Amino acid sequence: MTQPAIPLDQPLDNEAEVEILGPPPRARSIIWIVRLASIALVLGSWEFFGRQINPLFMSYPSAIFRAAVVLTASGELIEALGSSIRTLVIGFVSASAIGLVLGLLIGRYKLVDAATDWLVNALYSTPLVAILPLVILWFGLGDMAKLFIVSLLTVFPVLINTAAGVRNVPPALIDVGTAFAASEREIFLKIILPATVPYMMTGLRLGIGRAIIGMVVAEFFTAITGLGAMIVKYGNQYDTASMFVPILMLMLLGIGLTMMVRRAEEFFAPWRGNDD
Amino acid sequence: MGEAPVKLSLKGVCKSFRLRGTGADGQEQFINVLRNVNFDVRQGEIVSIIGESGCGKTTLLRIVQGLIRLDSGAIEVDGVPVKKPGRDRGFVFQQASLLPWRTARQNIEFGLELQNLTRAQRAQRANELLALVGLSHAADQLPHQLSGGMQQRIGLARAMAINPEILLMDEPFSALDAQTREVLQAELLRIQAETHKTTLFVTHDLDEAIYLSNRVVVLAAKPGRVKKIIDIPFRHPRPELPELRGDPLFQDIRAEMWELIRTPAPAVAA
Repeated sequence: MTQPAIPLDQPLDNEAEVEILGPPPRARSIIWIVRLASIALVLGSWEFFGRQINPLFMSYPSAIFRAAVVLTASGELIEALGSSIRTLVIGFVSASAIGLVLGLLIGRYKLVDAATDWLVNALYSTPLVAILPLVILWFGLGDMAKLFIVSLLTVFPVLINTAAGVRNVPPALIDVGTAFAASEREIFLKIILPATVPYMMTGLRLGIGRAIIGMVVAEFFTAITGLGAMIVKYGNQYDTASMFVPILMLMLLGIGLTMMVRRAEEFFAPWRGNDD
Repeated sequence: MGEAPVKLSLKGVCKSFRLRGTGADGQEQFINVLRNVNFDVRQGEIVSIIGESGCGKTTLLRIVQGLIRLDSGAIEVDGVPVKKPGRDRGFVFQQASLLPWRTARQNIEFGLELQNLTRAQRAQRANELLALVGLSHAADQLPHQLSGGMQQRIGLARAMAINPEILLMDEPFSALDAQTREVLQAELLRIQAETHKTTLFVTHDLDEAIYLSNRVVVLAAKPGRVKKIIDIPFRHPRPELPELRGDPLFQDIRAEMWELIRTPAPAVAA
């Protein structure tokens, strides 16, 4: 040892600079220019060609925007949005809780799995909106019917992904618990549960998409409140521009909620990376 | 060295696994993995197990830890038979097997959380271990932010944190590049000199086995059984591996081991 050696594993001082390797800023700005140009082109041609078509069959951006202003000013849009979001959140949250718990049990205990897998798979494969007429017969046209359908559609992707997560916990990690003489309960809480979090988040992300579908279809059928009811109402009035307003709201809702779940995914499972 | 008391004792360890399906005669088929393995590890010794791949050396180590049940025979610690995993033995895995959602420090604290220690006691113990393996600066990094060598050091720190009497290491350096491996081997000897942990070390690297060990157990394959136990006479502290390699005695021992591993042992009727 003639001079102090630098420890091999010492992180570099300029690690932060190494991290941001990737496309240079110039390339990134080009990507954004192309993206914005694409948006302008699509909206522009929609506006242009939309004006040529009978407004009964198709609308166009500026007309939709005017309709949105009117519907917002009258409070109708806000009220419908509020009603839809309430249905969505209550249905989604309660179904997620049920799906996570059942998923953990089914994934961990082979007998629970054997008792339920046929039913879970059958129900997951069935387009459950098909039973909506029956649900309305049971619960009437009120909120219960909507909540039931939203929950029913949400619960299966959450449950199935959670169970898959439990089954996919690497045996090597369970070995760690066993080797350190952890109890069954400690292995479950300290290894299986955290290892399953990324799968749970995937289940929630898939669940949110299905929850929105369930909500809209239920509102179509009950046609009293919510964005779905608005779509039916203006469809019946042949007011296509106004009908597009709740449709675009649904799109924004879907994007917003999916992004929230993605954020939650990054927050709760930062070790997983964006590999899916 | 010879006077140190026996810490760990393997007595007549046998293990066979059942093969999937049945043979031509419709009988269940078994494969003998280990047959009548006997040897002792003395207090403070490092003993390596080597043998060609598939000779059951990892199985043997997992049996000692209690991760796999043995068919017959016994594992004794201080003369008392052990059958289940216990905190008297610490296990270092081949792939570090760190919990990916825990920081380096939290991984080290894993075993401590299973004991009745206060948060402060755990933190203090983790700090000691981080310092021992030279990773205090990386305490709050997640495993995927650490290099393979760093992960393996944390794996070692995790096993040592519970202060086991015996350290079991399953090819811990085999997945590392040559330079990192030599650094960690020297590191292990330094830590061993500080802590005097009785260590059972599985490897397929002859140089590593000679460099680290007081004695090397050479296993024959199919079924795995002790072929020879070789004393490694080099005194501690040992020179670094590249220097030791130049020693003619090192070369002789290496040649003997190579010969033992290469020549098939006479088959034993199953």
